Amino acid sequence: MDFAPALDWLQHTSLATTIRDSLLLFPLLESVHVIGLALVFGTIAVIDLRLLGVASAQRPFSRMASDIMTWTWVTFAVTALTGALMFITNATVYFNNTYFRAKILLLVLAALNVLVFELTARRTVHQWDRSPSAPPIGKAVATVSLVVWVAVIFAGRMIGFTATRTSTVDTAAPAEINFEDLLGLPAGGDTGQAPAKGPD
Amino acid sequence: MKQFAVWLSTTAPSVFIQEHNAWAIPVVQSIHIVGIAAVMGSVLLMDLRILGWAGADQTLRQTAERFGPWLTGALWLLLVTGALMVIGEPMRELVTFSFWLKMALVALGAVLAVLFQRTIRRHEQRWEDTLVQRPSIKALAILTFVMWACIIVLGRLIAYDHVWGSWSPAVGQ
Repeated sequence: MDFAPALDWLQHTSLATTIRDSLLLFPLLESVHVIGLALVFGTIAVIDLRLLGVASAQRPFSRMASDIMTWTWVTFAVTALTGALMFITNATVYFNNTYFRAKILLLVLAALNVLVFELTARRTVHQWDRSPSAPPIGKAVATVSLVVWVAVIFAGRMIGFTATRTSTVDTAAPAEINFEDLLGLPAGGDTGQAPAKGPD
Repeated sequence: MKQFAVWLSTTAPSVFIQEHNAWAIPVVQSIHIVGIAAVMGSVLLMDLRILGWAGADQTLRQTAERFGPWLTGALWLLLVTGALMVIGEPMRELVTFSFWLKMALVALGAVLAVLFQRTIRRHEQRWEDTLVQRPSIKALAILTFVMWACIIVLGRLIAYDHVWGSWSPAVGQ
C-alpha cells in the first residue's frame, strides 16, 4: 500500500500549514506532549512499581489501578493528540524516519503488554490484590512496561535529532548556515532525508 | 554569563560531551525526561490526594511519604542530567531567558516540596482535619501542578528562546 499520497495530503491540510507557519505552535505542542508523556509514564510507573512490590506494596492493587489509570488514559489522549498534530506538519519525513517507526512499534508492544496483563494476572487479581507484589507474569509485564516506555521516550527524543522540521515541505532545505551543524550535532537521519534543521 | 559559557565549553567534560554528542546528548535528555515523569507523576498524585480526586484510601501523610522521596530523588536526577546538558552545550542553555526563568521556578518548586513534606510530618492531624479542606490549600495544589507544567514548557522553550523576543539574550547576537 502506498501511503505517500495520504501523507502528502496530510501535510498540506490547512491545520498542518497553520502549525508549520507559526513560531509558537510547534514548541507549545512539543511542550504539552512532554507534559502529557511525563504524566503517562509517571502514572504507569507507579502501577508497575506496585506490581513489582517496590512501592505502595501495602495498597490493594485494584483500588490503585482504578484510581490512577483514569489519569493515565486522559493524559495518553492528550499526548497522542499533540503527537498527531506534530506528525501532520511533516508527515512524509516522520513516516520515513527510523526512530518514528521504532517508537510506533514500541507503542504497539506496550499495548500488547497491557493485553497480556489483562488476559493473565488481572484475571486472578482477587488472589493477590493485597499481596505486596503480583504473581511472576504480573512482574514480567511490569518490567517490560518500564523498559518499553523508557525506550519510547528515547526513540521520541531521537526523532527530534533526525527528522527535519521545515517551513516549506516541498522545496529542499535552503543551504543556510546552521549553528547546530557547526557544533557537529547529529544531522540527517539514517533514512537519507535532509539534515536536521531548526531546534532539536 | 556569555564569557562563562564560552569558558565552560572549552573545559574537558564539555569537550567530551561535544565529541560524543551523537549519543551523549539524546541519552542524557532521555534520562532527564524519565526524571520529569517521576516528578510529574509524584506531584500529580499528591495534588490529586489533596484535591480528593484520587488516593482517598490513603492518609495525607501516607501519600506524602509514598511520593515525597521519589519527587526529591527525581529532582536530584534532574539536577545531575540538567548540569550535564549545561556542561555539554553551555551556549545553548546559559544564554537564554527560558533557562533562567526555569531555574527560578525550579528553585521555588523544590522549596515548596520540602516545606510540604515537613509540615505534613509536623502537623499531621491539623492537615487531615482542617487544612486539606481549605479552598486556599486546594488552589495551591492546582497552582503547584501548573507551575511544574510551566517548568516543562520553559525547558522545551530553551531550544526556541527567540519566542521571547528582546527578552532573550540569544536574540540579536
